[in-house]
Amino acid sequence: MSDTDNKVTVYIDDVPYQVNKENNLLAGVLSQKLNLPYFCWHPSMGSVGACRQCAVTQYQDENDTRGRLVMACTTPVSDGMRISLQDSESSKFREQVIGAMMTNHPHDCPVCAEGGECHLQDMTVMTGHSVRDYQGSKRTFTNQNLGDLVGHEMNRCITCYRCVRFYKDYAGGKDFGVYGSRNQVYFGRQRDGNLESEFSGNLIEVCPTGVFTNKVFSSHYTRKWDLQSAPSICAHCSIGCNTSIGERHGSVRRVMNRYNSDINGYFLCDRGRFGIGFVNGQQRIRTTKGINQLSPEKLTSLDVAKSLSHYSGKKFIAIGSARASLEANFYLKNLVGKECFSAGLSIKQMAMAAQHQQLLSQYKPPSLTEIEQSDFIFIIAEDITQTASRMALSVRQALRNASIEKAATIGIPSWQDSAVRTLGGNLVSPLFSLQSTATKLDDVTEQSLLLTIDEIENCLQVLANYVVDKNESTLSAISDTQQTFIKAFIKAYSSAKKPLILSGWSSQSAGVFNGIRQLMSALNNVESHTPNNKQSNSQVGVQNNAENAVKETRLAIMPSQSNSIGLLSLIDDKTLATEQVLTALIEKQADGLIVLEHELTHFTEQELQDISISAEILIVLDHSESKISQIADIVLPVAAVSEGDGHYVNYQGQVQRYHQVHAPILPIQDSWRWLDLLANTLYPNVSYTVSNAKKESKKLHCLADFNQHLLTHFKHWPLDETTPESSTARQTHRATGRTSQSANISVHEPKVTQSYDQSLSFSMEGAKAHATAEMPFTWAPGWNSNQSIIQFQQEVSGELTQKTSNVYLNFNSAEHLISSWPVNDNHERVVSINGQTPLTFSQKTPWYLSDWQANFNPEFQLMAEDNRLFVSPSYAKQQGWNKGQAVKVSFVAGSGILPQIASLFYDENLSDNHAYGTLTGLEHNINNLDISLSEATNDESIDYQQCLKNNQQAARDNKASILESLKSMDQLIPIRMVSGGLDDA
Amino acid sequence: MNNPSLRPLTQLVNLEQPLTLEQYINEGGYQGAQKALHECSPAEVLTIIKDSGLKGRGGAGFPTGMKWSFVPMFDDDDPNKPDNKYLVANADEMEPGTFKDRLLLEGTPHQLVEAMIIGGYTLGANKAYIFLRGEYHVAAQRLEQAIEQAYAANWLGSNIQGTGYHLDLYVHTSAGRYICGEETALINALEGRRAIPRAKPPFPQVSGLFGKPTIVNNVETLCNLPHILRNGVDWYKNISPESDAGTKIYGACGRIKNPGLWELPFGATIREVLYDHGGGMLDGLKLRGLLPGGASTDFLMPEHLDTPMDYESIGKAGSRLGTGGLIVLDDKNCPVAMVLNLLQFFAQESCGWCTPCRDGTPWAVEVLTRIEQGKGNVKDLDTLANLCDFMWLGKTHCALAPGAVEPLKSALRYFHEDFEQHIDQGCCPYHDVTKVGG
Repeated sequence: MSDTDNKVTVYIDDVPYQVNKENNLLAGVLSQKLNLPYFCWHPSMGSVGACRQCAVTQYQDENDTRGRLVMACTTPVSDGMRISLQDSESSKFREQVIGAMMTNHPHDCPVCAEGGECHLQDMTVMTGHSVRDYQGSKRTFTNQNLGDLVGHEMNRCITCYRCVRFYKDYAGGKDFGVYGSRNQVYFGRQRDGNLESEFSGNLIEVCPTGVFTNKVFSSHYTRKWDLQSAPSICAHCSIGCNTSIGERHGSVRRVMNRYNSDINGYFLCDRGRFGIGFVNGQQRIRTTKGINQLSPEKLTSLDVAKSLSHYSGKKFIAIGSARASLEANFYLKNLVGKECFSAGLSIKQMAMAAQHQQLLSQYKPPSLTEIEQSDFIFIIAEDITQTASRMALSVRQALRNASIEKAATIGIPSWQDSAVRTLGGNLVSPLFSLQSTATKLDDVTEQSLLLTIDEIENCLQVLANYVVDKNESTLSAISDTQQTFIKAFIKAYSSAKKPLILSGWSSQSAGVFNGIRQLMSALNNVESHTPNNKQSNSQVGVQNNAENAVKETRLAIMPSQSNSIGLLSLIDDKTLATEQVLTALIEKQADGLIVLEHELTHFTEQELQDISISAEILIVLDHSESKISQIADIVLPVAAVSEGDGHYVNYQGQVQRYHQVHAPILPIQDSWRWLDLLANTLYPNVSYTVSNAKKESKKLHCLADFNQHLLTHFKHWPLDETTPESSTARQTHRATGRTSQSANISVHEPKVTQSYDQSLSFSMEGAKAHATAEMPFTWAPGWNSNQSIIQFQQEVSGELTQKTSNVYLNFNSAEHLISSWPVNDNHERVVSINGQTPLTFSQKTPWYLSDWQANFNPEFQLMAEDNRLFVSPSYAKQQGWNKGQAVKVSFVAGSGILPQIASLFYDENLSDNHAYGTLTGLEHNINNLDISLSEATNDESIDYQQCLKNNQQAARDNKASILESLKSMDQLIPIRMVSGGLDDA
Repeated sequence: MNNPSLRPLTQLVNLEQPLTLEQYINEGGYQGAQKALHECSPAEVLTIIKDSGLKGRGGAGFPTGMKWSFVPMFDDDDPNKPDNKYLVANADEMEPGTFKDRLLLEGTPHQLVEAMIIGGYTLGANKAYIFLRGEYHVAAQRLEQAIEQAYAANWLGSNIQGTGYHLDLYVHTSAGRYICGEETALINALEGRRAIPRAKPPFPQVSGLFGKPTIVNNVETLCNLPHILRNGVDWYKNISPESDAGTKIYGACGRIKNPGLWELPFGATIREVLYDHGGGMLDGLKLRGLLPGGASTDFLMPEHLDTPMDYESIGKAGSRLGTGGLIVLDDKNCPVAMVLNLLQFFAQESCGWCTPCRDGTPWAVEVLTRIEQGKGNVKDLDTLANLCDFMWLGKTHCALAPGAVEPLKSALRYFHEDFEQHIDQGCCPYHDVTKVGG
């Protein structure tokens, strides 16, 4: 009965409840699903006692009839405590608090984007405040332009301080604050400008009212109750944050956080929240290319079969994708056979994949929640703040553990947020990092070094050796600063209880992964021997033995894309590297190439041309235009994440389902549906194709059917989906205007889209949203905002009442894995470029550019800054250059990369042979590249500036025309159909 | 000295030209510090302070020795021993009607420096701050000068007077907020943060300035230390055997004949302060009521004139001693306007953290303004009463709003007729112009 260990009895209006004593009274009350209004408290940010909204009356004992008012959020829970929510004293006070907040609130709900999902509305109704007593004039503020993502309407502010506590305290943002005093408190930036935090979008959800709103959503707005939503998985990095995507009239409107206690909790990063715009973008592929359509009405599967019949029986090589579903990749590989399958990785990346597979088979990566419990973190060669921002947010929370621990020693619980921060001051748990670029976590690292990737590899080797042999001479191979780093590392590590190592694919170096493997094995082996060592060190030994736990160092490696690990699970000894694909095509070992949702940006123009010439036929399946789709013979438009169904596998190996939000306009359909059509025609002899499925009198109508199909044909298919008994409604039961929205065209109510998918219905009819763990949206009676999620948690911030069944891919069965792939990663240094000694360059990609799909958002394009190159001040001095001046960056001849113009910046921590920066003309996964610098001529600078301006203008135009086309779509009667494939009736 | 003064704190005050270090020493200065540093262990000094019965003069009247004893003491080899502790003098005197600290700061700066040395030694603090009201330019200059002299004479700095004790003392001039009088808001301001009271616990004694154990005391409180050390606990307690220990600097302002400050044995009656020292009301004016200890105390009425001004007696009479600075209301001034003026101050000075204070005080101002202008209605009195209830103790984050409520609530009780007259007549009965024009 360990569950009840932390529970005590609290009498709430004389009814006994079992309440968690480790949390505060407010959380305790809300966990019982009782209504108690609050503002400043947030389940993830704890209590500060500012708003005074959650007052309750506490009684000494059952004879006490007067009691005294306490703020539930700052009151600890104790056994036998008696409180009342319904007594007149506390009820009256709570109503007064809302009344006071409302003295300045503009009551502009009808024109406010928050209206209908506003926590302030909910709480006002909850307290019963309905009549306004205040007769004075209202305070007004000037709003700020905070960029293209977050709107600002300060007059609505009720001064709960949640925004600044989230932005600064929780997320470490620096460009947002609280200004002024008394009833003129202002939350914003010092001056207008883009919010710099990667988490700014959370202000929209954190703000209890409409001060911060989603600008993109507002520009093509609909009320929450008119959205049709589906549970989804973020498609923009490998964390696998749970999202809820809302659509109306066939266009995606917004992404909201979908609570998952193990992964994203209450917060998303901005790429996850706003990146979805690509599905509405102008680069979308909406029609087929290279398929002859017989009927002008619609494209049929017969058309596809006819057009492809010529290639039946030819030998195809196929490239899978880290952003396509697990189903599509799996099916593709089995279709072409493992000898003809490529993961779209280069030889170098295949070496990384081999290492990564090994690491996954040895170490189970921690969830974000587990990361938040670490007390020692070592980040290696990955700027997670930009590549996997949500993880960086968890790292920031983990760093607070030192102050939480300190507070606990004087009896202050972790939920007392302001007290813990007062007590902790600048105290943070140790964070060490070896990076090739500066990162936003540098301000909280205990030690960080800025090194080239080669140096990081070397430093890791030495560290791993030193951990094992503890021999000073081992350290002699590295610089003094690195020695200091390693010694500090060892010291901090030795007192850590829950150490963690984080890295990722940005280094583009299998050597780094190899170093991590050695370090992990060194640390964990040393630890397993420690009981013996501890005998000699009695003081430490006693303490640690009491905890009776062997220290386990955890490891998480972040690949770049939503299904990278899913793809990784399909890579084996036979899998082709992209170089091998190219050779095979040129040498005519294969006739055609199928590219599944892969932009192949690392192919040079020359290589793309080679493919075009060599391949008899190039078939591209994708949702957006890319260089490869432009040269393809056949292009098949596939569903983006919001239009299809599938599974992504996150960095931990957890398999998660994303659901179709709305049926796509044909011929757009899921990749796996297209692949099935291809299979039918191109591989007539294969037994598991759709035609054979038909023979078995089965139709592959929906993902569940398809999964069942895979399960019957492949012993390795990991998923076994059970069909739910009832389907959940995607629309709220309050959805309005069902008949009037198209009444100017027809008064007949259009038929709703029929779905073969049993789990969700395109309707307001069906099971309630919370009937499953995969909630399309969250709503509870009296709780219209996202705060309603508390009603569906077992207890505040706990698991959902409907438990998720977590499925993980198994990397332990070695038979699928690469048995060996040489770590032949010796970086051959170029002696000179343009007669200059080269610098080693590392690309620092901002979060909004580090994902190919999200890149299509005009809002993100508008955020792009000019190219920046950071060098050491001493290097600049040697060259006689000054900060801010324009330099020309040149690359090794034959690399196919054009020279770039960039502004020069200094970083004191760089060595003279190392540079980093953001060069937007380069692919984002660039590291360890040789460059040379020269002064840019005046003409080059001017051309570059003009080019920047043009890009900005293009992005603005793009934004305007996307909006225009979306709004014009709203004027059409929504196309109703059966949500299946091409053969829908 | 055989016959120590009954005005220990103010006898050396010279507002024209405060005593230099040398002069101060000649007058017996630094003897208290001498005694503490040379003859007592810190624990012994603390015992003396506890025994003296000294209470905080900032307004709350909390026993100083007890407050200090909450600072955790560590053995030298204790790994949890903090690397520093802090003593802070709260010289952010912004209570309306109160100007006693200014007298001490400008008139005898060395007395405070000496007090800081004694206090710092007792607590084991190596750094001390004087958090000074920004407008007190003269005090700032004189304190800086005194500190400079003290450093030169080795009363500050390292190895003070050969005792091995080290203390650095800094003057920090405030950017000016009333809330900085609240000790944790003061600490936040001193750290460069927003001046907002902190959540307690942790109390500053455990985790205050920069997370270290910290004591914040009022200037007047601290200035008692040299004298207690020098003259002994018995002398101190015998100054006013019937009341709180020691002396109190009482003040009076308003339309009285002789506004000013007087250091008297604790427990002088209001009548003594107002009439014997303050000279009574100006001719032609009658006493209507008074605030006994600054703006954030309840009104007392003429019938309370014989109440001794100590914490207990004033409390029994329904108010608080506060700072001991009387604000006097006469019969030709409008009580509604006076309360409005006070509430405007509190609304202006609210830090903006908690809802009752941030939005309640301006609301009270809005209602009072209308009443004062003759635009009020009877319902407004209920609103005011509700607001008093809304901002009362236990409902707010700190004591600012309850302090604002005190004059308002008591005015509603004592001057109810005035409020009603405003509403009934549609104008301010005290305002001739309104009367004529209305």
